[in-house]
Amino acid sequence: MYSVESLLSDIKNTSLSKPFRILNVCGGHERAITRAGFRTLFQHNIHLIPGPGCPVCICPEEDIAYAIHLAINENVVIVSFGDMLRVPVEYEISGCSSLIDAKNQGADIRPISSPQEAVSIALEEPRKVIVFFAVGFETTMAPIAATLLNDLPNNFRVLLSGRLTRPAVAHVLESQPDTFDALIAPGHVATIMGSEEWQFAIDHHNLPVSIAGFHPESLLLSLQTLIGNCSNKVVTLSNRYPEVVKQNGNAAAKALINKAFTIVDAHWRGIGVIPGSGFSFASRLSHLDATNDYAPVDFPSQCDQNVPETTSPCEKVILGKMAPDACPFFGQECKPASPKGACMVSDEGACRIWYSSGERSITNVIKKGNTLKVEMK
Amino acid sequence: MKSAEGNNHSSSEPLGTESIQLAQGNGGTLTKRLIDHVFKNKANKDLDLLHDAATVTFDGPYLSITTDSFVVSPPIFPGGNVGALSVYGTVNDLAVVGATPRYISTAFIIEEGFSLSTLKQIVNGMHQAAAETNVAIVTGDTKVVPKGSGGGVYINTTGVGDSQDAPIWDTSLIKAGDHVLVSGSVGDHGACVLLAREDYGLQGQLKSDCGSVVPLIDPIKHLDGVRFVRDPTRGGLSVLLHDVANETGFDIELIENNIPVRPEVASVCEILGFDPFILACEGRIVAVVAPDISGKVLAHWRSIRNGEQAEHIGVIVKNTESKGRVTIVTPMGGRRFMNELEDEPLPRIC
Repeated sequence: MYSVESLLSDIKNTSLSKPFRILNVCGGHERAITRAGFRTLFQHNIHLIPGPGCPVCICPEEDIAYAIHLAINENVVIVSFGDMLRVPVEYEISGCSSLIDAKNQGADIRPISSPQEAVSIALEEPRKVIVFFAVGFETTMAPIAATLLNDLPNNFRVLLSGRLTRPAVAHVLESQPDTFDALIAPGHVATIMGSEEWQFAIDHHNLPVSIAGFHPESLLLSLQTLIGNCSNKVVTLSNRYPEVVKQNGNAAAKALINKAFTIVDAHWRGIGVIPGSGFSFASRLSHLDATNDYAPVDFPSQCDQNVPETTSPCEKVILGKMAPDACPFFGQECKPASPKGACMVSDEGACRIWYSSGERSITNVIKKGNTLKVEMK
Repeated sequence: MKSAEGNNHSSSEPLGTESIQLAQGNGGTLTKRLIDHVFKNKANKDLDLLHDAATVTFDGPYLSITTDSFVVSPPIFPGGNVGALSVYGTVNDLAVVGATPRYISTAFIIEEGFSLSTLKQIVNGMHQAAAETNVAIVTGDTKVVPKGSGGGVYINTTGVGDSQDAPIWDTSLIKAGDHVLVSGSVGDHGACVLLAREDYGLQGQLKSDCGSVVPLIDPIKHLDGVRFVRDPTRGGLSVLLHDVANETGFDIELIENNIPVRPEVASVCEILGFDPFILACEGRIVAVVAPDISGKVLAHWRSIRNGEQAEHIGVIVKNTESKGRVTIVTPMGGRRFMNELEDEPLPRIC
């Protein structure tokens, strides 16, 4: 249908009179873009900008601090998706600034890769309380909802820190008007929520949107569509991942989410409180809430202020205001083995992705190649 | 296994347990019975003598010696086990410096409660691998540690090889324009062990590439133009190539499409967020060779078992920077750097 060569030449032959800034909001997309080397392939004025696309990066520090506190002080087993373990918090809890610190100090913290694994651990350890640190966007929260709605062992509790993507993207677009020219919408989230979830970017911001899959070919098709929108001066919502994304999404998954959770205002690390962007337990599941059973931890939270002005480099990276390699700590004090900020931890984090694929010094490569360094405003 | 006594006790006396007991490491009768039942191998007279040290013959003035410890979990995985791995790993380390592997010594640290039948399987794997690679396991030792203080079974092997006819292979011989070759698909062992740990709730068709690289080394051993050979074990292809770039100061440019990765490995990496280029191989080699012999080396490799997928994956390039770097031309034609292993890979969230 489309050949990679024809898509690439289409993009390269489109003349753009001004910079064209394309925001992506999914760590999987950023990973695919970087691994394919797209930034070294296109013309100088096409900017591919990573935004808030990683649930690990935006998980608020107070939730991580609470998980560390429970693991160290409350004799519980914390089970968590692996990449949460290294995320640092600014203020230490009992001498630990990450879950991996706590694990190294003897706390029982176990990495898992599915909610069902958390339940299996609870069944294997009936004498211990298992607290599942549930972090993720809609794609992760749907299977978590399904798990929580099943019969669960009595020793199973949840520290809920899930987030909805659309309100955060809306926040980024509203707080930075005229900064982005197009949006690549997240394919996995759209699978659950439907392509219609992204119509708001057209209606409220006049931005073309393309839903992309995760193969470089699918992303290339989305990019070509968005760049075509720009040169033809039209604004469309295109679904370039139609094999899994439907207009209304996955009704069964949405029903599970609605049954298990209610939608609440929630704090995002680096962004602040975003209305209607988080999950709380529906009353039928409130007995699972770990915060009912254990005292809170004393941790300075930023969520008291309403959407604070962002200053730290991590916050600027999450909001798409700064390229990862423009951060003074990038690749210096902040590396995957010793992350200073959350974006350097997860494989979905923009800094980690850029670091792992060497975008920190892409100019060196490009000297031999034929394109120019990515620049962002 | 070490014992000052002779070999005249009957091995028919039953062990009476299904798992390892602490007392089986105390050097007394129970240790002797364990050795008789599990470790003794009628084919290997040196080992069965149970002397304090083995005395062996040698052909030339030069030896190569290497040692390695094997702590893989789980100890049994598709395509091999820690016993076979402990022989292949050490044999391979000798082979890639051009030596002919001859003798192996081994030491076991076994955790109390470890399954006896698994131990037998592991020891059997060692003997089979030794027979296949024509090395003799000539001496050994067994210790048992209390439950909770060891991860099942740890095996150390030390290998000795003849090296009087060994070629001199070294990164200092590498020149700009040389070709980088790999003998087969990368990441198989690493991906297989990750899955076999079962922590991930995934099942797969993966098999470790655990095996001897001697058949891959033999045909190129005396070929002019081979600069450097190494096996990409821990840290996989990435660590090996970054070492070469760091030691030589040259860049290495790789063509991603040419690097063989099995589809199963690619899928596992995609799901768990791993990079196949940092996952271990246990039966592959990477060679840097002069461009005029790369076709010959590939033809040799492709004609033998486990070399069918051998590929020319990149070139050595002169650079103007102070430090050599490893770059990749992506299937899309873009460029990026190869991921340099920094921390222990953890499964990612989605």
